Amino acid sequence: MERNQKLPVDRPTYFTLNAPPSLVPAKKYSDISGLPAPYMDPHTKLRFANAEEYASMQHMPSDIINRYLSVRGYTSAV
Amino acid sequence: MGSPKRVLVIDNGSYECRVGWNNTKEPALRFRNVLTKPRKDRKKEAIPDTTDGAPTPVAAEVPAEIQVGNDITNIEAVRAHLKSPFERNIITNWNHQEQIFDYIFTKMGFEGEQSIANPIVLTEALANPNFCRQNMSELLFECYGIPAVSYGIDALYSWEHYQNRRKKVSDALIISFGYSTTHVIPVLNGKLQLQHVRRLNVGGYHIITYLLCLMQMKYPVHLNAISISRMEKLVHEHCHIAVDYREELLKWGQIDYYEEHIMKIQLPYNPVTATNALLTAEQKLEKRRELAMRLLEIKNRREGEKLLEDEQQLFVYNKLRQLYEQDKLQKFELALAQQQIGNLDELDSLISTISNRIKRIKERPLSSPKPSKQQEKIDKMPKAPEGVSQADWLAELQSKREQLLQRKQTRQQQRQEQGKRHTHAAQERMRIISTLARSEKRRKANGEEEDDGFGMNDNDWDVYKRINRYNDDSDSDADNEQLLEFEKILSHYDVNFDDGNAVQTQSAAENYQLHFGVEDIRVPEILFQPSMIGSPEAGLAELIAFVLKLFTAQEQQRMVEHVYLTGGCAQFRGLKERLAREFLEMRPFQSKFSIYESDDHTLSAWLGACVQAGQPNFGQTLTTRKDYQEHGSEYFREHRASNLFYPTPKD
Repeated sequence: MERNQKLPVDRPTYFTLNAPPSLVPAKKYSDISGLPAPYMDPHTKLRFANAEEYASMQHMPSDIINRYLSVRGYTSAV
Repeated sequence: MGSPKRVLVIDNGSYECRVGWNNTKEPALRFRNVLTKPRKDRKKEAIPDTTDGAPTPVAAEVPAEIQVGNDITNIEAVRAHLKSPFERNIITNWNHQEQIFDYIFTKMGFEGEQSIANPIVLTEALANPNFCRQNMSELLFECYGIPAVSYGIDALYSWEHYQNRRKKVSDALIISFGYSTTHVIPVLNGKLQLQHVRRLNVGGYHIITYLLCLMQMKYPVHLNAISISRMEKLVHEHCHIAVDYREELLKWGQIDYYEEHIMKIQLPYNPVTATNALLTAEQKLEKRRELAMRLLEIKNRREGEKLLEDEQQLFVYNKLRQLYEQDKLQKFELALAQQQIGNLDELDSLISTISNRIKRIKERPLSSPKPSKQQEKIDKMPKAPEGVSQADWLAELQSKREQLLQRKQTRQQQRQEQGKRHTHAAQERMRIISTLARSEKRRKANGEEEDDGFGMNDNDWDVYKRINRYNDDSDSDADNEQLLEFEKILSHYDVNFDDGNAVQTQSAAENYQLHFGVEDIRVPEILFQPSMIGSPEAGLAELIAFVLKLFTAQEQQRMVEHVYLTGGCAQFRGLKERLAREFLEMRPFQSKFSIYESDDHTLSAWLGACVQAGQPNFGQTLTTRKDYQEHGSEYFREHRASNLFYPTPKD
């Protein structure tokens, strides 16, 4: 660690090569179908594109819901 | 390097490793850069089969404990035990790397030699940490005793190869699509601009796992059938990059387009079990009867054998008895001892039991199969009451059943609503609870028995049913039972009866189909929108714009005139068109740019390394054993296609 601090600032290392964070807002896609999703279910936090998807979400086991959320990288604020 | 020696070129990619001599047209050895160690107990049977494919006799003699690359016969079976020396695109697991080198050198014919006499060209990651290179040098020089090594970057080797085939170009923007990472590499005046290289940590691996996740969630039933190998095949053969992602997505949203373009993938399924499920009730009955007959036959045969045995035994015992009766005592004693019988009484009892047994079997009538249970069941089936036609009776049952179903549904809905707050049902429940509690309290406060008449009427108790959140009380149990009864009767009498929740008449094969539609563009799109897999990094287009902004306008223009795509993931259809679109958006109006693709996305790095190894000044790019001993293990010589050497700061 101490040695790393001696590195000149402009020296490229494996870690300075990382891509910068995205500055454009992430587009929202349905978790289930991948279509552009204007809606979000406040209960499960899943995004959905139309009523049929919403209906299919209603009897979806919670582990699948959680997996969908984790694939998208969603973490609840709690 | 006086006498030119053959150079061993190793393109050590995190997905696939390609090894070969520099004077050949293509690598002699290509394998997935993974290894596995079979479990001990299974190994004994497994080894003779698995080493069949190994061409070297040595591998057959000494059972290879560790299987590397192509020696893994069934990669899916050992998926959980696969080990890779890589972590992202750099090597961190040196034990595994050593085993992979062992494999490489054995296959390339170095078996049994003390040290390797040929120089090696090895690819490495961009900005490979000094620590990793140090370990690699130590491994190569100390363990394998190589004379010299040249480290290079696969994307730059690929670029060299391209220039070698066409013309020399001094400036370029190389985009390298790897298995675990994607790099945007600016090259100015023929020199790598390492400080401005950027790496997107999304690659083929992420694409494959993303597809795996999506498919597994879409078809939870086929969780095990959706394997990584199958998904890899899908990604390799069918995925493409959408030129306009949003537009293509919206097309998929239309049902007509979907029906027309959907790809259905048939998973393997066992047709035997499928036909079993499709058998009619009669056929099933027939089968069962056959089975019963066969069992009966077996039983009869066994009984017959036993009878024969018993009869023989009885014959012997009777002989003994005769001996006794004829007063041949000595002989009798001897025979008893031979048969291991204690005395006369025991003999008598044995004779009686055996003869009883024989009698019993013989008395039993030659067994006739009992009427099957199915028959009894049918007899038990309730019949239409007198005076009512069967059709009317069935219709009545049907309507009753519908009522029950409806009641069940309302109950379920009620339960769901009660589960959420702020719904009318939930508030109603809270109201009832509070009134109930209040009346109780009042009684306590008064101290006297003030009967409000609750419970006088049986229906009063229903209030508890209504506030019970989980409505599976006795009511619904009874309903369920009745429902089952009705369904049984109906399905017995009515051939066309379909109880709604039964699987629709669909061939079993169709149940084993995966629908692969929007995924073909959705999955590779994560290169451009990493936010889809929860990565905060900028997408490829944004990243290219970011890298270009690090240069002056003239430099940018020089670079975009040669945008060069290489790496395994560059094989996606539509990638070039998509990038052209993105460049058009990001470049100034009416400025020029052109995109080139490598001739062979997966092999060009290896071929480029061969080109460089054949050049006259190749000797200067080699880090020799002397350099290694003189400058320390992290030192390496820079060349056109290498990383830049920055020594680790001293303490």
